[in-house]
Amino acid sequence: MHMQAYVKPVAIALIMLSLLLVPQFATTYTTSVILNILMWIGLVTSWLILAGFTGYISLGHGAFLGIGAYFVASYWQILPFPILILLSGLICVFVAAVVGYPVLRVKGPYFVILTLGLSEFVKYSLVYYEVNIRGTVGRILLRTPSLENLYYWVLVICLLSIATAYLIKRSRFGLALMSIKDDEDAAEALGVNAALAKWKAFAISAFFPGMIGAVMAMRWTYIDPYTVFNPMMSFQVTITAFLGGIAYVHGPIIGATMLTLLSQSLWARYPNFYMIALGVILIFIVMFLPQGLAGLLSKINVPGFIKDVFKNVSSPERRKEL
Amino acid sequence: MDAIAQVVLAGLIMGGVYALIALGLNLIYGTMRLLNVAHGELIMFGAFAAYWMYTINQLSPLFSLLLVAVGSALFGIFIFFCLFNPLLKRSQSQDMMAANSLLIFFALSIIMQNIAVFFWGANLRSYTYMSKVIHLAGVPVTANRLLSFAIGVVLCLGCYLLIQKTLVGKAIRAVIQDRECCKLMGINVNKIYIISFAISFAMAGVAGVLLSMYYVFSPFMGLPYTVIAFIVVILGGMGNVGGSLLAGFILGLVSSVGTALTSPGLESVISYLIFILVVLFKPKGIFGKGF
Repeated sequence: MHMQAYVKPVAIALIMLSLLLVPQFATTYTTSVILNILMWIGLVTSWLILAGFTGYISLGHGAFLGIGAYFVASYWQILPFPILILLSGLICVFVAAVVGYPVLRVKGPYFVILTLGLSEFVKYSLVYYEVNIRGTVGRILLRTPSLENLYYWVLVICLLSIATAYLIKRSRFGLALMSIKDDEDAAEALGVNAALAKWKAFAISAFFPGMIGAVMAMRWTYIDPYTVFNPMMSFQVTITAFLGGIAYVHGPIIGATMLTLLSQSLWARYPNFYMIALGVILIFIVMFLPQGLAGLLSKINVPGFIKDVFKNVSSPERRKEL
Repeated sequence: MDAIAQVVLAGLIMGGVYALIALGLNLIYGTMRLLNVAHGELIMFGAFAAYWMYTINQLSPLFSLLLVAVGSALFGIFIFFCLFNPLLKRSQSQDMMAANSLLIFFALSIIMQNIAVFFWGANLRSYTYMSKVIHLAGVPVTANRLLSFAIGVVLCLGCYLLIQKTLVGKAIRAVIQDRECCKLMGINVNKIYIISFAISFAMAGVAGVLLSMYYVFSPFMGLPYTVIAFIVVILGGMGNVGGSLLAGFILGLVSSVGTALTSPGLESVISYLIFILVVLFKPKGIFGKGF
């Protein structure tokens, strides 16, 4: 009993420490792979704050990444980097708050395609603005921060998003969101202000992709509307989330790690194979693994210490206990 | 005057294809309440099939139309049995079925798009077939556009009559209205689902063949057409087959006039804007129920 209580904090501390030391000891390549994994974990976890808790599946999450990237590209070298990152996040919160008010009234499949339509609308508007008004195609970013610097920023944002999701999951607010997923009408009848709860969740979930977009723009050093508003980004967020298991806070960690490693091995040489593999994986999960990999992990008998790390963090059974 | 006539004619011709695309999408939505986001990819495959048959085997698109229709219908039936039948059996609620099928259709669209890029490359393609210019009451228009318009309208009307006048059509309409009740009334709902899948997929494939006769196409053409189909379906009313027909022509005219009045660069912006406004303010369509 006594031992078990220590396993989880010790394991988490070890993981943290190794993540902090990555840029010091790992090669540039390894660092950039882990940076990509952290980016996807941050994106997917923030997506789950709305989609995982309330069941409102958004296909426009990538748009916030694009808005963050474009904001930072417009003010780079005018304002200091940390302030730019924070502002990128806040602007996305603002956009989400404005857009979310009418959009979140729309339900089910309508909401899904509406979010996709919105993100495409932003993309084509920006394309028009770039080509016809500014007379450019994209933006090149010069004198960007070092890989190490960007790594720590993404790490911080990623940990913040996990902490936020975890705290929401354990709060009254989280319960309200989960009740919306189970039955929105019943939740409202029991006194949950569903419209307000969804609105808040949407605004919070937009904060992180905005900041990640700001940091990643520095990593990419060239951005144009077609790449940063690529709907594939949003699709991949969704697929990663379902692969990991959307009912679990540690789902994104598993899903993002798997998919990033897969993409590292396939993307460079066979980009289309990678996308086809993504599609096949998604079909496989829907047909055979509706709880995702995290759900599978919670079912099979894994060594006690691994289970302890994940146990009770976020399993659906926990909801019944609360 | 001539310019106006030209814009209107272009809009009508576009509208004919829009109606065909939307009709297919709406059939699956109406009977099963599923949104096929891979609809545009089916159109793309139809266009490529016509292209290869024309450039390699010199098969006229009018003939490949039939092959594509049959092939797409069989593909639809195959997909239904492999993926949707098991899902239907397993899903406990309609919401779950809707979410799961949406993911499946997304997966299909990603897979189809990347198969196309992998085998055929990402560049734009086109071929020339019946590109003679005909003067229709003084307005110049290419023969292939007129032909595709005629075929599109005939198919739309044929589908409309099938649904309105035949016994199968009656069953389809009944399933659109109330599936649970149909099961109690002895209608084989599963058979209606299969028929809807077959007709819907076939119409998408045929629309692709028709478009390929006068438009450039690429593996990435799917999403814009899916979005157009959504706009038309929502405008006409989800599950309202006649409404889609009319809404297809309306959207064709509106986007043709809209683009003519502003700039071609704004075409996508305008169509997405219409889409957003329609979903937000007219999610039940503009015709109401009794159409």
